[in-house]
Amino acid sequence: MPRTTFKLIRLLLVGLMVVISPGLVSADDKPAEPKLIKHQITGLFCPEREQDFKVLCEQKLAKFKLVSIDYANAEATFDYDPAKEFPGAKPEQVIERFDNEVRNVSRHTFGVKPLRTIPKEKLKLIELPIVGLDCKACSLAVYEIIFRLKGVEQATASFKSSKATALVDPEKIDQTEIEMALKQRGVTLKSAQ
Amino acid sequence: MIVGLQIIYSSNGFDMTLFNLDSQPCSSLRRLLARWLVCGAVAVQSSWAAAQTDSFFKQHCIECHDASTKQGGLDLTSLKFELSPAESFGKWVKIHDRIESGEMPPKGQARPTAADRDAVVKHLKTEFIQAERQKLAGEPRTGIRRMTRAEYENTMRDLFEMPGLVLQNDLPPDGSAHGFDKNSDALDISHVNLAKYIEAADRVLNVAIAIQPEAPTVKTQRISLANPAGFVAHVLMNGDGVLLKNKQVDSEFPASGEQGHIDQGAHERMGSFHNGASVGLFRHEDESFHPYFNEFVAIYPAKYRLRTSLWSFTWDKGVVLPGRGTEAVRLSIVTLTGDGRGGGHPSSFLTHLDAPSMTEQQHEITTWFNQNDTIGLNTASLAPAANYFKKKRAMEFTGPGIVCDYLDVEGPLFESWPPPSHKRLFGDLPLVEFIAKDHPNVRPPKHEAHRQKMFMGKNVADPIKGLWTVQSEQPLVDADKLLAKFLPKAFRRPVEDAERQQYVDQVSERLKAGDCFETAMRWSYRLALCSPAFLYHSPAPAKSDTPATESRSLSDYALASRLSYFFWNSMPDDRLMELAAGDKLHQPDVLKSEVDRLLSSPKSQRFVEDFLGQWLKLRAIAANDADKKLYPEFSPYLQDSMVAETRAYFRELLDKNLSASHLIQSNFAMLNEKLATHYGIEGVTGSQMRRVDLPPDNPRGPFLTQAAILKITANGTTTSPVPRGAFVMDRLLGLPPDLPPSNVAAVEPDVRGATTIREQLAKHRDNRACAACHAKIDPPGFALEAFDVIGGQRGRYRSIGEGDAAPRGKIDPFIGISFKLGPTVDVSGSLPDGRPFKDVLEFQKLVAADSNRLLTNMAQRLTIYSIGRGLTFSDRDAIQRVVSNTQKQGGGIKTLIHEVVQSDLFQTR
Repeated sequence: MPRTTFKLIRLLLVGLMVVISPGLVSADDKPAEPKLIKHQITGLFCPEREQDFKVLCEQKLAKFKLVSIDYANAEATFDYDPAKEFPGAKPEQVIERFDNEVRNVSRHTFGVKPLRTIPKEKLKLIELPIVGLDCKACSLAVYEIIFRLKGVEQATASFKSSKATALVDPEKIDQTEIEMALKQRGVTLKSAQ
Repeated sequence: MIVGLQIIYSSNGFDMTLFNLDSQPCSSLRRLLARWLVCGAVAVQSSWAAAQTDSFFKQHCIECHDASTKQGGLDLTSLKFELSPAESFGKWVKIHDRIESGEMPPKGQARPTAADRDAVVKHLKTEFIQAERQKLAGEPRTGIRRMTRAEYENTMRDLFEMPGLVLQNDLPPDGSAHGFDKNSDALDISHVNLAKYIEAADRVLNVAIAIQPEAPTVKTQRISLANPAGFVAHVLMNGDGVLLKNKQVDSEFPASGEQGHIDQGAHERMGSFHNGASVGLFRHEDESFHPYFNEFVAIYPAKYRLRTSLWSFTWDKGVVLPGRGTEAVRLSIVTLTGDGRGGGHPSSFLTHLDAPSMTEQQHEITTWFNQNDTIGLNTASLAPAANYFKKKRAMEFTGPGIVCDYLDVEGPLFESWPPPSHKRLFGDLPLVEFIAKDHPNVRPPKHEAHRQKMFMGKNVADPIKGLWTVQSEQPLVDADKLLAKFLPKAFRRPVEDAERQQYVDQVSERLKAGDCFETAMRWSYRLALCSPAFLYHSPAPAKSDTPATESRSLSDYALASRLSYFFWNSMPDDRLMELAAGDKLHQPDVLKSEVDRLLSSPKSQRFVEDFLGQWLKLRAIAANDADKKLYPEFSPYLQDSMVAETRAYFRELLDKNLSASHLIQSNFAMLNEKLATHYGIEGVTGSQMRRVDLPPDNPRGPFLTQAAILKITANGTTTSPVPRGAFVMDRLLGLPPDLPPSNVAAVEPDVRGATTIREQLAKHRDNRACAACHAKIDPPGFALEAFDVIGGQRGRYRSIGEGDAAPRGKIDPFIGISFKLGPTVDVSGSLPDGRPFKDVLEFQKLVAADSNRLLTNMAQRLTIYSIGRGLTFSDRDAIQRVVSNTQKQGGGIKTLIHEVVQSDLFQTR
C-alpha cells in the first residue's frame, strides 16, 4: 500500500477510533459524555516512567483522570469529557490538543498519540544493545531517536539494561535503518564496538 | 631662543670678565661662554662663580667632551648654555647631576676637590632655578586638565551613589605624561571625547532617574552552575564535571564514562540540571568553556546580594574522596553582549572564594550589577584538564574538583525609593503618573521600560502600569532649588547665582518648547555634566585679593578636590566641602586628619590601584602571556594573585607607615596560597591575601622581587637584565636611564638554552657607546635574573631545546611539563660605584640602605601623581624638604604622603 494512502486511512481511523475494553467501550472522537478513553502514550520508555507519568497526571493533568496505564503497550486510559476539556475541537483535533497539554507540562518528555492500528502480531521486536546509556535522560534521547522513525510503533530504552527495543512494522523499516539513525546521532551500538 | 637668560641678565648686567675670556683660544668653555654673551645672554650669575665653573670644566671635562673626543656623544665646546629650550636645559641638568653625584669626572681621572665641585654645582643650580622661575613667572604650574576616564567614572559613581556604574570603557583612552595619566600635558579633549561625554551623561541619567512609583520587587533566584543556558551542562555531559547529591554521585545522572551523555536537550527536558544537585567541576575556564550563571541577567542596575556554597574534593574514577586542600574559585561580573549567546563576553574580576575539602563554605558578597550583567565562575586553582575527548571520560579521571552547591542572587537592593541618584536630581518631588490629557501640549518623558533583554535570563522585570514622572507645581522655582543643590556638588565648588541662572534658563526654554518637567531638567543636568566646570579640574587661586606671592595657592575647594582625586580618584565628599567652605582645609592639623580619613576609607583602594597601575605598570600585567611550554604552571589565578600581592603590600606599607626601604627589602610578604606555593613558602592556605613573616634569607616580599613586577619586566618567554634593570632604575630608584641609541641592535633572547643573557650582554657592552649606561642598568637586572618570567626563583634557565630533564618541584601534578633546565643563572654583579653583590639578597641589602634615594623617588612619584604635572629642576628643593621632614619622623610611606600634602608643591597651582 502506498504510504500516502496509508496516512489517509490512519487519519480517518483517528477520528473513528474505538477502544475496546471489557465492559467499557469508548472512542476518541465522540465527545458527548465523560467516557473512558484510551490513548497511546509516548515517553513510556522504561518501567520507571510509568510512575513518572502517574505523578505528572496527578500534579499537572488532574482534569484528565488517569484510570490505568498499560506499560507493555504504552497505553493509558483516561476518564474525561473531550467536549468539556477541548470545547469546539473537532474529533481529529482532540488528540492533538491533549498531546499539546501533556507535552507542555512534561517538558516534552511525554506525549499522546492515537492507538496503534497494526496488530501487534504483525510487528517485529528489534533489540539494540547500546553503549553509554548513562541515565534516564540518555534513555529518553535514544528512545526519541528510535520512536520518531517511520515504521516504529513502540520503543523502549533503559540505562539499567543498556538496551533499547523497537516494535516495528517490518514492511516500513528494518534494524539497519534504526542502527543508522542511532549512529548518526552519536549513539554507539555494542555490536559496532 | 635665549629669552630667559636675557631677562635674567637684563637686571644684573653683563659679566665683562667672562667676556674677556673668549680671547683665550684653548678654552672651549670660554668660547662657549663668550658666545652666550654675543647672543645677549650670559650663563653665569657672578664673575667669581663663572670663573670657577670655567676653570672646573677646563680642568675636568673638556678633555673628554670636546669636539674631537666627544665622549658619550657630548661635545661641551658646541653646547650652548641656553636654558629656554627644554632639550638644552635637560642636557645641562644632566651635566649638573653627573657632577653632583660624583659620577663625573669618571674614575681614573683627576678628582676635583669637594669645594670645587660644590661651587660648580651650586652655581649651575642657581642658574637653572633662576631661568625656570623667569620662564614660569605668573603661570600656574599645573595646567588646567580634564578628568581621566577613571576619575570621570568614579565621580559619576559618587555623585549619584551608584557605586558600580561602568563608564570608562566607552571613553577614549587617556594619554600619559611623566608616568601618569593625570597629567595636563596628556589630557587633551576632542570632539570624540565630547560626543562620548554626552552619551555617558545620558546613560547615567537613564539609570539615575526613577521611572516607577515603587522599588522593583526584591527576588531571590537560586541558580545551579549546571543551568543549561551556561556552558557547564554541556561539559557535564562529557565528563568534565559531575552532579553530586550528599557528596555522592547523583544517581539520576551518573558520571560520563565510555560514552558522553546523549542529547543535552533530552537531559534538560528530563530536569537533569534542575534537580537540586551540586555541580562538581574538574575543568577550569578556557577558550571554549565559560561557566556562567546566566539564568540570572541583571535588569535593574543596582546592588545585589550573592550567596554561594563551595567545597572541593578528589574525584577518583567515580568515587568522591577528600580533596587535596582548599581550592579557589574566581567570581567575575560578565557583561553579556549581543544576544548573550556564547562565551568570552567582557568580564571584570569580582572576588576569589575558598572551597575547603569536603566542607561547604558559605560566602556572601554584595555587589553592583549593571543591565545585562551576569556572574561568571572559574575553578581558578585547578590545572587545565579536560576529559571531554578522553576515553572513558570522568570514569578514567582521578584529580581535584570544585563543587558549587548553588548560587543565590537576591535583589535588586535599594535602601530607599526613589533611590539616592534620583533624589540627587529631583529631591523630594513626587513621582506621579503622567496622564497625557491632563497635560495638553506637553511632551511626555521618554522612558525605556525595564525588561529582560537576554533570552536566557529567567528573571523578569516588574510589570509597570502607566508612565511615571516627577511632578512640579512650580517648575522654575523647583528647578532653581534643585540646581542650587546639584551644581555645587557636581562642580566641586560654590556656584554663583548668575552661573546657576544659565542652567535654570535652559530648563525654562525646554518647558516653553513643550517638554515636561523631567525632560527639561534632564536637559539642564546633561548640560552640566558635559560642561567644563564638571569635566575639568579647576585649580582656582585662593582668593582674588591674594597677594602676588601667594597667588598660586589653591583655594580650599581646589585643595579639597586635589585631596579627593589623589586618594579617592573622585570628587570630594560633604565633609571635605564643609571644611573648604569654612576655610579650614589649609590648616595643617585639619589637612593631616583629612588625609588619614581619606586613606582609611575603602574608596582609597582606587588610589592604590590607580597609582600602582601606573607607577609599577600593573596595568600591563596581562600585556603578554607566559610561554606555555616554558612556564606551564602559569595561570590566570597566579596572575590575579600577583596583582593582589602588590596592591596588598602597598596597602600594608601605608597602613603600617613602613619605610621606603621596603620597596627593596622586607621581612614579610603579602601572600595567598597560590603565590606562597609559587614562592616555595609553606603554611599558607586559601585564596585571600595575608601578611606572612619571612626569614632573613628570603628575598621575597618587596616590590623588587614580587612576581607581578618580575612578570611585567619580562616578555613571557625570557628575562633580560636590561628591561628589568631599567625598570628598577626608573620606577624604584628614580634614576631613569637614557633611551638606547637607535643604531644599536637589541639583545635577542635565546630560548634554545645555548647562551645566557649575561654572555650576550657582555658582547653588547663591548660597544663603548653602550658600556656606560649598561654599567648602571645591568646590575639590578643581573640580581633579578634569580627570577624567571613569572617570578619563580631559579638556579638554572629553562629551555625548550638543550638541557637536562627538569624536576616537577611544586608544579601541580596535573600540569604536564616538557621544558628542560639549561645553563646556570649567574646573579652576581656590582653596583656602578663598584660595590659587589653575589646574589639578590646582597643586592637588596646594598640598595635598601639608600633610603634617601628610595624616599625621594616615592616623593616624586606621589607628587607628580597628585598634582597632575611633571616636576622640574626648581622643584627639587621642595622634594628634598619633603624627604628630609619624612626622614626626621622615621621615614614612613604614610608620613611621606602627609609631607607631600603639606608641601607647597601640593597646595599650589
